[in-house]
Amino acid sequence: MILDLERFQAQARPRWNNLESLLALVEGRPDHGLNPAEAEQLQELYTQAAADLSRVTHGALAPELRQYLERLVARAYAELYYDPPKRSQFWQWRSWLRIFTAFPEAFRRQSRYFALAVLITLLGCTMGGLAVRYDPASVDLLLPADYLRDPGKRVHAEEKGENRHVPSRQIEAAFSAQLIRHNIEVSLLAAALGVTFGIGTALLLFENGVLLGAVAVRYTQQGFGLFVAAWLLPHGVFEIPSMLIAGQAGFYLARLLLRRREDRDVRQTMREWLVLIAGLALMLTWAGIMEAFFSQHHEPELPYGFKVAVAGAEFALLTVYLLVIGRRKTGDLTQTKVRAEDK
Amino acid sequence: MTNARPIRLSTSAELAIATPEGVVFRLPLAGPASRLYAMLLDIVIVLVTVNGLALLVYWIFSKAPGFGVMAITLAEFAIGFAYSALLEGFWNGQTIGKRLFHLRVIDQTGLPLRIEQAWVRNLMRVFDTLPFAYLVGGISVLSNPLMQRFGDRVAGTLVVRQTPLLPPGEEPWTHQKYNSFMNYPSIAMKLRRAATPELASLIQDALRRRNELAPYARREIYRELSAYLQSEISPFPDELVEMLSDEQYLINAAGVLFGEQRLLRVRR
Repeated sequence: MILDLERFQAQARPRWNNLESLLALVEGRPDHGLNPAEAEQLQELYTQAAADLSRVTHGALAPELRQYLERLVARAYAELYYDPPKRSQFWQWRSWLRIFTAFPEAFRRQSRYFALAVLITLLGCTMGGLAVRYDPASVDLLLPADYLRDPGKRVHAEEKGENRHVPSRQIEAAFSAQLIRHNIEVSLLAAALGVTFGIGTALLLFENGVLLGAVAVRYTQQGFGLFVAAWLLPHGVFEIPSMLIAGQAGFYLARLLLRRREDRDVRQTMREWLVLIAGLALMLTWAGIMEAFFSQHHEPELPYGFKVAVAGAEFALLTVYLLVIGRRKTGDLTQTKVRAEDK
Repeated sequence: MTNARPIRLSTSAELAIATPEGVVFRLPLAGPASRLYAMLLDIVIVLVTVNGLALLVYWIFSKAPGFGVMAITLAEFAIGFAYSALLEGFWNGQTIGKRLFHLRVIDQTGLPLRIEQAWVRNLMRVFDTLPFAYLVGGISVLSNPLMQRFGDRVAGTLVVRQTPLLPPGEEPWTHQKYNSFMNYPSIAMKLRRAATPELASLIQDALRRRNELAPYARREIYRELSAYLQSEISPFPDELVEMLSDEQYLINAAGVLFGEQRLLRVRR
């Protein structure tokens, strides 16, 4: 042992204690803020502790002391090099409202991944549609739920309200919550499957597309085109795009993971992914409410033309929202962001 | 022989971080078992909270039970994600379970994690729990040197152990008034040269945990250790060893290994 541990510890103990109490003080603050004098002191004590750690590591056999110093250096390191977020923002409702503009902005910035999601879904739709059109035997394979095999029966049952044993607002409310939850879970999974380099996301989108295509062709073939449009579109115009946006988020994540480690601006990209997820969760909440309270009411009650018109209006609003909101500001915002990153 | 205070970091996974000042420090990583326990505790806390909330909501919505179900279904879903994400994001990377089990989520560069990272790693849970019982996440933890599940890999975070640590106190064997081993400086030097850091800290652990060990276990461990030192590392003269208990033998050996001043004095 090169180092005289006893003397070394006796000399260094006061400055370690100083560092510990300074760290406790800073860590106790909600914003981890430092005033200039404290910052200077922390810097100095940290450097000394780091030097002490280096001496202990190479000059003595003292695992406990080494571990203590490592912990101390780690804490000081975290305080010195961490740039804490401005926490006060979190509690302002204005910053929460920003999601409504941030979502379409993020959607437009990453639109190529959205295009990919659309492409894969359309491919699935075509496959599903063609299969049902030219190979009726595939219906059994493609449409797992038995009610989808005999559209006539199903339409009849729906129009008579047979599936709604106790037709009431109460049941619809509970039903909508379950729909919202289930749909968000599936979308979240599609977005998370980006970690499989997008393969899982693509498969999920493709499967979804096949199902959509098969149902659409099957019902149209049997002459229930208008019924199915009125039945599915009022919520589908939000549900299907949100699934596509989930795919977009998934592919975005995959692209991010494929990029080399150093290139990642983790903070910014994560925020983008989260904004997409938050946006599609909002969309699915609306879709769930529509599905439970509106879509399940049929002809004698609500004319199909009206339902399709409502769906059309919804879709127009959604399109305008996604393509226009925040557009004027987009240029300024990206510029300020870039500037903030430069610092 | 694991110590209550983890000493031999080399036996467990750890994260080494080189600072810009050219110093390397290591953080011990949390194993899957303690993470599992912490998670189970968190699940219990969430379930109790949600069920308590459900009672309240059903009471408020007693006229409209359907809306009560709606509220609670959505609240359960939201709380499931928000509990971990918000606590980790705003409470130094710890949920209640993690705090009790001395775990902490940090950025993989050694800095505190950010709120975005907390959300990402917790939303990614839907993938890690596939196909059931955290199979995907578990395999990821076991196959990754940093013990990250997929959520951690994406968010760039990891879970470290954070046991409270005090500066080491002064050990009795560094203050021995008289150490008979020092009468044989050449053999003592041989012991010091041949003892690996692992062996040295093993001896120190054994002595430090004297009162935690059952008498029988203590006797056996001390006997084995001293026999090993005597036969394999540095044979002190029989007439000296016969006079010493195994415990005293180890205390003397620790005095040789850890008490730096004395040897110099003898050599002069």
